[in-house]
Amino acid sequence: MSNHVTEWLNAYLDGELTNGRLHQVEKHLAECEVCQAEFDSLQSLSGLLHEVPAPEFKSLERFASQVNLLLPQKRTPPPQRSLFEVGWWMIPVGLLTVWIFISTTILVSDMVSAANNFGLLDNTTASLISEPSDTATWMSTLGQFGVLRGDSLQWAETTESYTRNVLPQVVLQVSVALLYLTWIAVWWVRQTRQPPVPLLEG
Amino acid sequence: MESFTAATVTTVNETELVTRAQNGERNAFSELVRIHARGVLNVIYRMCGDEQTSEDAAQEAFIRAWLNLSSYRPQTSLRNWLYRIAVNAATDMLRKEKRILPDDIEDLQLTDGRPGPESLVSQQERTRLVQKAIQSLPDASRAVLVLREYEGLSYQEISSTLDIPVGTVMSRLNYARNLLKAKLQPQLSLLEVEHV
Repeated sequence: MSNHVTEWLNAYLDGELTNGRLHQVEKHLAECEVCQAEFDSLQSLSGLLHEVPAPEFKSLERFASQVNLLLPQKRTPPPQRSLFEVGWWMIPVGLLTVWIFISTTILVSDMVSAANNFGLLDNTTASLISEPSDTATWMSTLGQFGVLRGDSLQWAETTESYTRNVLPQVVLQVSVALLYLTWIAVWWVRQTRQPPVPLLEG
Repeated sequence: MESFTAATVTTVNETELVTRAQNGERNAFSELVRIHARGVLNVIYRMCGDEQTSEDAAQEAFIRAWLNLSSYRPQTSLRNWLYRIAVNAATDMLRKEKRILPDDIEDLQLTDGRPGPESLVSQQERTRLVQKAIQSLPDASRAVLVLREYEGLSYQEISSTLDIPVGTVMSRLNYARNLLKAKLQPQLSLLEVEHV
């Protein structure tokens, strides 16, 4: 019989196996005498260990009273939120604020542009909000020199305009989202881990 | 349903007690000591193998818990947090007392394992030998074995209690059991004969 399951027998004994691995071990044990013998010896060992009785300790009430008497009179004050802790919780708040600000700015900008396109703004306001026509500067320059023409010039100008206007917004929002997700991941790890208990001297 | 309700009430009470103890209320902490004393004493006794040493180490463990209560997070198990402190306290106590390894642990190998009336040791003697075999394990492996065998913690719980990966829990447990099987081979043989 090959493919012994010896390495999983402890976990099987402790009821830690599930699904596929559990069926694999059960099936193998039914067929393999070597592994079955090993498993039996593990069970015997467990039985032997449990033959050692727990001692009868003195009254728990008395023990608790003794501990109470031994507790240091002055203990450290209740935990106060450190500057680090406050800063830690300000991170998601700050990120959400930045995200809301960016989203609102983009939304307002789009609405104003749309209003301008529909001619809903007067000339003065339109001139105030209209962007200086420095977009596609590089491509226009290349067009003037005859490097780009026709469709390729138009495509290049569109690409440059997109790169200048939309891409920074996307990058900014994605960066904020990634930072926020990173914070959540770190928060989750901190929650699931107990800080190490410092040892006392002596 | 009843047990669920009882468990929920206990958890709520414990959470409240922890909060009060974290605010410096000694009586609340004493109540927590009463709730968890037996478990902590048992863990330490299994680690040390001596009743008096266990009580001293348990007191030390609860004092440490009191001093570090602010670092305890109520989202995690208080019992497991105390067990970690208990394991540390037991290990330190043994180091401080320069643990005297049982003289006759090596003699276990020489015991006649063949079945027969002359080789049958008394239950008490067997208990003593098992206890000594456990004491001879390395601290790290013994802690995992004690939490699993005597306290019934799952691998995941042991992992979070001792702050080690589940894979390490498995390997330490495997190591401890293999070592014990080798040391207690004569006793295991006798046990099998008794059960036949």
